[in-house]
Amino acid sequence: MTAVATDRPTLPTPADGPAAAERGGRRKSVRSGFDRVTVEWVKLELMRVAYATRGGFLARRDPRAVLGWYLVCAVVPWLTYSTPALAVFFVLALACALAARIGPLLLGLFTLGLLGQAAYVLVLVFVLGGNAAAIDGLLQISLKLGAISLASMAAFVSLDPEKLSDGLQALRAPAVLGFGVSYGYRMVPLLIDEFQTIVDGHRLRGAPPRGHGFLGWRTAVRIGTIAVQAFYPLILNTAKRTRTTVEALETRGFSPTGTDDPGRRLRLAHLRFTWADATLLLVTLGIGVSVLVLL
Amino acid sequence: MPAPTTVTAVPPADSTTGTPAIEVQGLTFRYPGASQDSLHDVDLAIQPGDFVAVVGGNGSGKTTLCKAFNGLVPHFWNGDITGRVRIHGRSTARRSVGEISHDVGYVFQDFGNQLVRPTVRDDVSFGPLNFGHEDWADRTDRALASLGLGDVAATHTWQLSGGQQHLTALAGALALAPSVLVVDEPAAEVDPRRAAVVYEHLTRLNQEHGITVVVIEHHAELIARYARSVVLMSDGRVRWHLPVREALARRDDLAEAHVPDPQVVALSRALVPEIARGERPVPITVDECADLLRPSVRTSAQDGPAPSGPDGLPPADEVGRPLVARMVGVEHGYRTVSGDRHTVLRDLDLDLHDGDRVALVGSNGAGKSSLLSVLSGLAVPRAGTVEVDGRDTRSVPAASLADTVCYLVQRPEEMFLQDSVRADVAMHPRGRRASDADELVEEVLARVDLSRFADRDGRLLSGGQQRRATLAIGLAMRPRLLLLDEPTSSLDLASRDDVIGMLDALSDHIRCTVVATHDMHLVAEWASRVVVLDQGRVIADTDPRTLFSSPDVLDQARLVPPQVTQVGAALRLPVLPLTVEELVRQASSRPAEETA
Repeated sequence: MTAVATDRPTLPTPADGPAAAERGGRRKSVRSGFDRVTVEWVKLELMRVAYATRGGFLARRDPRAVLGWYLVCAVVPWLTYSTPALAVFFVLALACALAARIGPLLLGLFTLGLLGQAAYVLVLVFVLGGNAAAIDGLLQISLKLGAISLASMAAFVSLDPEKLSDGLQALRAPAVLGFGVSYGYRMVPLLIDEFQTIVDGHRLRGAPPRGHGFLGWRTAVRIGTIAVQAFYPLILNTAKRTRTTVEALETRGFSPTGTDDPGRRLRLAHLRFTWADATLLLVTLGIGVSVLVLL
Repeated sequence: MPAPTTVTAVPPADSTTGTPAIEVQGLTFRYPGASQDSLHDVDLAIQPGDFVAVVGGNGSGKTTLCKAFNGLVPHFWNGDITGRVRIHGRSTARRSVGEISHDVGYVFQDFGNQLVRPTVRDDVSFGPLNFGHEDWADRTDRALASLGLGDVAATHTWQLSGGQQHLTALAGALALAPSVLVVDEPAAEVDPRRAAVVYEHLTRLNQEHGITVVVIEHHAELIARYARSVVLMSDGRVRWHLPVREALARRDDLAEAHVPDPQVVALSRALVPEIARGERPVPITVDECADLLRPSVRTSAQDGPAPSGPDGLPPADEVGRPLVARMVGVEHGYRTVSGDRHTVLRDLDLDLHDGDRVALVGSNGAGKSSLLSVLSGLAVPRAGTVEVDGRDTRSVPAASLADTVCYLVQRPEEMFLQDSVRADVAMHPRGRRASDADELVEEVLARVDLSRFADRDGRLLSGGQQRRATLAIGLAMRPRLLLLDEPTSSLDLASRDDVIGMLDALSDHIRCTVVATHDMHLVAEWASRVVVLDQGRVIADTDPRTLFSSPDVLDQARLVPPQVTQVGAALRLPVLPLTVEELVRQASSRPAEETA
């Protein structure tokens, strides 16, 4: 302890330059912790989406019914060219999505995507010499896609990984698909954490940003480059991880090639397709058909 | 070959059948594409009810041998194989891995990747369901209950601590009701206290249910405490299979296999001539060792009642060392999935000074990693201020702070961002356009002895090399404050000593180092200051010696001092020894004082 206690003169390191400059120049900007909190928030939001912790009207239903419901909602909008009918479908889908509690992240992304797409197609239409009639077509396709996206969000937010994989298996999907879904969900939190650490590593160790540039193009390029570069270690680390997973699967009796799965019956024994599930499907179908017929 | 007289000669045999639980005859195995055999003419018989530790250096074939027990070799890893493996008399050659799993349960070293389902209960029931056992629910409940996992059955596996994940993996294997359990390095990725929990469970399964346990292990202290016999592997061969006392007496063989003596063995060998000559059996517990040594250090009991550290931590301000970092009233936390806010650090004050070698200790979840992340500027605290090198972390972006603070995360592979070690080390100096970047990189690589591997991908190095590579990355950043998260976890003991030695050597280049760790050897041998965290608060800030003589603090933070310190306390030595050398010095200087 005595040896290291000597008061050595400060080591001249290259860090002195920028650090000193910063002390003078950058005082104004104060970090609120927001830059990292947002990442945390996105992560939590994804977890909530994945594990359906918010509940909602579809979360209580049998997974087969939810998948059926989704199928109906995904097909019906394609059967009409009437803008009012599509508008009704869109509103209904939005209501369902809200009732299924899809959460602000998905809703925000959805709105952004829908508006963004509409905006650029609109610009394109006018640049290429289109007319007002094009807007109706544009509106139709946006409403169709919007309704389907909202329905799919509502469905998948309400299915936690186990329910989804059980549902798929009950509908005779290959066992590998069901397993893949549930394993994928299990890996999501790990991968997000790891991705975050790697991105942090790039931020700290990579070349520091040289200002934002015009319209922040430098920042955009930097973020893009880091996001792409971070995938390389992420994929390699995951590949390393799965070596053990594959061996473990073998010891635990899960073989992707095996056709007869003795566990299927046991695993699905808890599924109950009730009257409520049937009613949900019938009502959805009824609404769909009546809107198609009436409008 | 020395013939010890007082040890039990043979591990307990199964009185009912006489058939070994595991019998290996003339097993030779070569992985496809390998240039040499991984196992060569292995003969081994493990009796039912035995508790076997398999030891051996890296690449000695330990894991391959254990994978031959449950049929992964050769059914999963096809290769050239000759010889025979029988489990309870039945050959593994014609049975599938799945079938053998009902006899032999296997827990992998990276057990986290063995868990494939979202919740604990799902994961444990995965095996029984796949095999179509009608009583899968019963089996699951029994396995969960027998390992005390009932409370966390509905928890998502990614929310569990490392120790709980390990138990979950174990429960998943147990649910198939195997009569043999193979556990690959239970202590590798969890702290020693948690490893001991796993071992206690294994011991109970072994004693109450007669399950034969095979572990791969190189912590001699754990072997001494739990195993009944030891198998030494080297170069793909079984060198010997001996009862544990006899095995621990074979110091040279074990040292070759990177299993250094447990401290109690090293102590007794240094102080008791009969043991050094191999005439008496070695002690394997702290109590045995203390009893053995009492005659030779007998006088100390009269010196003073309480063993207290004479050199408490002098307040750094008085020493006049400049401040490197200061935390005032820091509060920090995160939001959980359910939306609650979880506070990790509470009203925390901490000053770090030039020349400090700080060990940050405390149980899992005490806030160690959060503290490091706040100090590094990656996170800014919710309340309070953190100043590093005179700059408030709120006023500076993390990227600029990186010139002053370097944070090495726990898992080395997350630090390898490029495709070679050299590129990773060069990343920071090149990014900052340091004029001497090239020389710096070469110098740093030489210092951590990795010049030879500089062009390899960091992920392909061994555990010890990976740690050294991350240290090199940190050194090349020329930080004033170096933060390390668990730098010695999941390393074998030789690599661990290597890393401790390297940290020692670095003290000239870095003004202040903070290491978050569970490793009390690291604390005893390296640290000049220990900060004990418990539930987000500093409950002690002192030097290692004082910490180890404060039973209340140790208990509260769930810390276990190194064996040598425990022996010193049992002998009531006036100055608590931190290393074997210290105790030996004290003990041997004592008679001289007396005669003088």
